[in-house]
Amino acid sequence: MRMAHPTRRHVLGGLGAAGLAGLAPRRLLAQPTPVSLQLSWLHSVQFAGSYIAQENGWWAERGLDVSLAPGGPNAPVEPPVVSGNALVGISAADYTAAAVAEGAPFKILMVAMQKNPFVVASLPDNPVNEPADLVGKSIGMALANTPVLEALCRINDVDIDEIEIVPTQYSAAPLLSGEVDCLLCWETDLPVAMAVQGQESVTMLMADHGYSVHSQTYIATEDSIANRRDQLVALLAGEVQGWTRYREDTEAAAQLTVDRFPDAGLDIETQTLQAERQVPLMFSDLTDENGFGWWTDETVQANIETLALLGRDVSPDLWDRSILEEVHGQ
Amino acid sequence: MSAIASEAPRRSWRPPAAVLGVLAILAVWELSARALAGAYLLAGPSDVTAYLWQNAGLMGRALRATLAEAAAGFVIGNAAAILLAALALLWPRAERGIAALALLVFCLPLVATGPILRVLFGPGPGPQITLAALAVYYTTLVPLLVGLRAAPSTWFDLVHSYGRGRLAELWHIRAMAALPYLFAGLQIAAPAAFLGAMVGEFTGAERGMGVLTIRAMRALDVEATWALAAVAALVSMAAYGAFGWLARRVLTEAPPVILAAPGGAATPRRGEGLARIAVVTVLALALWWGLLEAFGVNAFFAKRPDDVWAFLITAPDAGENRATLFGALAETAVYVLPGYLAGLALGAGLAVLLTLLPALAGAAMPVAIALRSVPIVTTAPLIVLVLGRGATGTVALVAVMVFFPTLIACLHGLRQAPGQVLDVFDAYASGRWRRLVHAQVPAMWPAFFATVRIAVPAAVLAVTVVEWLATGRGVGALMALSASLSDYGMLWSAVVVVAVLSCALYAVVAAVEARVLAIYAAEQGR
Repeated sequence: MRMAHPTRRHVLGGLGAAGLAGLAPRRLLAQPTPVSLQLSWLHSVQFAGSYIAQENGWWAERGLDVSLAPGGPNAPVEPPVVSGNALVGISAADYTAAAVAEGAPFKILMVAMQKNPFVVASLPDNPVNEPADLVGKSIGMALANTPVLEALCRINDVDIDEIEIVPTQYSAAPLLSGEVDCLLCWETDLPVAMAVQGQESVTMLMADHGYSVHSQTYIATEDSIANRRDQLVALLAGEVQGWTRYREDTEAAAQLTVDRFPDAGLDIETQTLQAERQVPLMFSDLTDENGFGWWTDETVQANIETLALLGRDVSPDLWDRSILEEVHGQ
Repeated sequence: MSAIASEAPRRSWRPPAAVLGVLAILAVWELSARALAGAYLLAGPSDVTAYLWQNAGLMGRALRATLAEAAAGFVIGNAAAILLAALALLWPRAERGIAALALLVFCLPLVATGPILRVLFGPGPGPQITLAALAVYYTTLVPLLVGLRAAPSTWFDLVHSYGRGRLAELWHIRAMAALPYLFAGLQIAAPAAFLGAMVGEFTGAERGMGVLTIRAMRALDVEATWALAAVAALVSMAAYGAFGWLARRVLTEAPPVILAAPGGAATPRRGEGLARIAVVTVLALALWWGLLEAFGVNAFFAKRPDDVWAFLITAPDAGENRATLFGALAETAVYVLPGYLAGLALGAGLAVLLTLLPALAGAAMPVAIALRSVPIVTTAPLIVLVLGRGATGTVALVAVMVFFPTLIACLHGLRQAPGQVLDVFDAYASGRWRRLVHAQVPAMWPAFFATVRIAVPAAVLAVTVVEWLATGRGVGALMALSASLSDYGMLWSAVVVVAVLSCALYAVVAAVEARVLAIYAAEQGR
């Protein structure tokens, strides 16, 4: 694999920064060390733990100056991590496995969403409460997610041919207008949008029906794990501290998010509800016992089995817990 | 009398026709929104106004961010087009090579280029500006190359008789002859730059109208969605109007009579064409490889020519890869061709109609501009509602993207009928129809064919965006999926194949064009 020359990388980074007024120039020798965390989506309460860590100086006191790079529908997550523009990226086990299969030297260091956020959302008068209810219904989704639905059907002995897949864009409108019976979406976005609009909905969390894929996973390259270990430990320690505070007061986390990004078009009601709804996905008995972001051999095994259904052949050493162990051992 | 040509567009914008037209549009919009209330698809002008009033600060900041990106891209893209056109004229042997490379770059689908630009530029407005520039430079370059030739040969003889050379020719004759074409190009470019900047924000931006659009769509916030669309459309209309106004101030002379003997065009020999393709291919490959190496872009996501060759030809699973890619392309082709032809027919048809009935322009132009400048993410759900998720919906979306540049180019082309010729028609009191058929339509051919060529990559780009954002089928969806699954071999192969196919289609159109123009506009062969 060809790797970028560090000098060129800094030249490029400098060019990018020069175009953005107000962005501090990279100083290689000055403290604290500037590193970048590549988020997987636009700024929102989905990453509130990071904002809390930054706001409270929990990274600065560990010698890091972390910049948070927003994602988007056409934003790359894995490439900035491979090329070294970002020290850590927020991915998901299935995307990470795909990238590794293509030669990216990634390890999963921390799992923020213990339960995968995919749900089947439906309306109360025609609900989907369990996978068997999908039979005979039409589901609106991106065709790209067909393997996800296939995996759910295989795990639960449902014939996927009995479900009508309608390719829709990612919006709740087709469900509310009656074009489809249900939607494949995230627990934390479209159902929240419907609730804020006063539309009650029923969600079936796929993770409760055997679909085990770690989501919002923190990834880094093997090279960083070997050579920038201290920075990784500092970054994740700040994250763990941030997410622990988040859980204590999700309303404050939502408020902080809205205040920090006045140009992002966030509204407090949506952010508060989303913050509340992602708690059961991120915190569990397992994390209560061992600390935020934890996993065990059993959860990894469950992931490997689901990923196999998605066509990904994954070995347990995709997950590397050594950094997290150091964080929680502190 | 010679002011007829330049007066025609002014007359079309005069109230009350324009005012009535806009009022009619607002009424239809409001009534549709009321009829669709509760479907979360459309907000009417009253709701949109209320939203803008309540969120003026947020929208103002977003507009400022996106407008700055679009303006920078607009300036860079058009400056590049003007430079390339001047270079092509001063160095005629290179013209076809420049045009071919420029076309190739224009054919790169933004689903694929967006993430790569983001990695190259890092955080900030780099990708937004670049995508805006890429969206405009080609639609300016092509009409410019046409316009730079749209001058009578006697004028060149005059310059030569004074012993002046190519530079004087370029400045005194060609630049002046090209001005009307340049203004038409800038009018087409304005909405394209704005849309390019918005889509550029999808690659990961902190603020801007694209960011707010994504947020509003997901949040079922129809008022915000349509307020954003309305602002995008208004900005584009303002820019369109401003360039139109400027053109009328600057271009006070009626177009000249261009007499050129048919058949004078030098027809290239057979071998020459093949040699040119070979040179352009080698150049393109060298640029591709050289730029990636020079910037040290990581090979995990930035594939080199040999990686794509391996992926499609020599790798053990190359056959499977090809089957996936060409399967998706076949799905796409079904939509591109009808959408392309429908868009061309609609654009040219409406241009002719507006020339015959100028009063219609007041209502038709705002709708045309709005259709082009409102992002597909916003309009797609409505079009899908009316036409369904099947082929008709996708074809209509492609047609919408093709239709606007065609309309503007044809309107402008119809205006290129020489003043003296129209004077003759007026002297005999001929009707509008006769003028149209015998003077205006023949004058339109160069501009029309330029747009028919431009529309090939535009249609391909449109269909990949529609497939990516709305229908989730075909090669557009395949590229989006490949990017998210880190299948960069597939992504780059798809980009290469799409670009090469677009260029091939373009070449077919150009061949037809050469035949027609050899008769109607022989000066274009010079």
